[in-house]
Amino acid sequence: MDRLIYVAMTGAKQTEYRQSTVANNLANANTTGFRADLAAFRAVPVLGGPGLATRAFAVEQGAGSDLSQGSFQQTGRELDAAISGDGWFAVQSASGEAYTRNGNFVVDASGMLKTYTGLIVEGDSGPLTIPENTQASIAADGTVSAIDLANPAQAVEVGRLKLVNPAAAEMEKGLDGLFRRRNGEAGQPDPNVRLSVGGIEGSNVNAVDQLVTMIATQRHYDMQIKLLQTAEQNSRSAASILSLNG
Amino acid sequence: MFRSLLTAKTGMDAMQFNVDVISNNLANVSTTGFKRERPVFQDLLYQNLRQPGSATSQSTQLPTGLDVGTGVSPVATARIFMQGNMQLTDGPLDMAINGAGFFQIAMPDGKTAYTRDGSFQVDNQGTVVTSNGYPLEPALQVPLGTTKVTIAKDGTVTAIINNDSAAPTQLGNIQLATFINPPGLQAVGGNLYLETAASGAPTVGTPGTNSLGALNQGYVEASNVNVTEELINMIQAQRAYEMNSRSVRTSDEMLQKLGTL
Repeated sequence: MDRLIYVAMTGAKQTEYRQSTVANNLANANTTGFRADLAAFRAVPVLGGPGLATRAFAVEQGAGSDLSQGSFQQTGRELDAAISGDGWFAVQSASGEAYTRNGNFVVDASGMLKTYTGLIVEGDSGPLTIPENTQASIAADGTVSAIDLANPAQAVEVGRLKLVNPAAAEMEKGLDGLFRRRNGEAGQPDPNVRLSVGGIEGSNVNAVDQLVTMIATQRHYDMQIKLLQTAEQNSRSAASILSLNG
Repeated sequence: MFRSLLTAKTGMDAMQFNVDVISNNLANVSTTGFKRERPVFQDLLYQNLRQPGSATSQSTQLPTGLDVGTGVSPVATARIFMQGNMQLTDGPLDMAINGAGFFQIAMPDGKTAYTRDGSFQVDNQGTVVTSNGYPLEPALQVPLGTTKVTIAKDGTVTAIINNDSAAPTQLGNIQLATFINPPGLQAVGGNLYLETAASGAPTVGTPGTNSLGALNQGYVEASNVNVTEELINMIQAQRAYEMNSRSVRTSDEMLQKLGTL
């Protein structure tokens, strides 16, 4: 049996992975702070056997995430913040510190600042707790302050959100969708990260890009199937030559 | 079967949910004291097909792996308690709260519910009740023969009875409640909210103190739904839905090709 069918089969299978990545990006076209996944094919030479080394399998691999900025959506909430430019919010995940671009925060019953998924938001010195009967607000440099409503002249500084800015090459998306540094270490707070308050950052999925990729992927898949059909026809012809009563 | 089919399905589901929430906001554009909701989405778990960092030789390792995402899911509807506009109604028992407080309402089952809807009436006993007939807490009675009720900013209710304007009678005090996390309240319909573990316990006090907000007699608070914003969100949700249905179609056509083998 010719190895062509295995090469084509790999192509079809890996194309299906690509289609999954595109579908996931499109599914998250409206997810706050989402970063689109990139993917690339990699050539793996076919080893062994006689013949010329003309064949290579294509294997799909992740190429990290697109870290470009999403659009700013105004919400008017005091506790919504988007990072303008580079930088990350730090949250406490089950496996240590993780980073997100989703600056949609809430206060729980004990006054602690959390994300909507219940993760504790990191401050420069531990979690941030908003005192009762105060109106909390976030400043452009990440300082969280609360104004006592009984005494509006009295502003209480709660702390500063931990904003980090490791190099893009160091960041990778984990299986829970949060980002972490490749070396697993916690990042250092960066005083230069700036926020836009009163809104959130949308997803950075480019719909045009994803739809075009999807069409290309589909046609690529069709070609692999066509190759499989061709291989089958070739085998059939070869078998008919061998038949005795041809 | 194809993973992308299921992934695209989660996208369609989420956008459908998005439109559900937007529709509810738009439906309540004229509901007194209504607070709009915003759906919050989160990407689902990623499937790890190749582990980044695994060794490719004795001294080299994979720089990136292959993690394929499995879609999106709604995680919360965030209720936004921004102040709505004050509408002048001139109703003697209409009150708008200019702050973070809630009126306390005694429910028939003995629980206390909370509302921002301050359009109150009087029932056949003279008790001040909501439009659904649930009494205000602490209970307030308007006696027979009352010609004018005045509600002060701090919740003190006085009445002129039998046109005796020289000696106004004090009927009682309206108290308001606040929560540390109002979005954690559970909406039960009828403009009412119930306390939950997430909202924290209510702090009851005199209107105008702390963050409770002063009472404004003769006004009601309009819905805080912004129609422009909702319509734009709806367009976005609809287009995202269409793109995800396109994903489904593409996966379907790929499977169709596969079937021709």
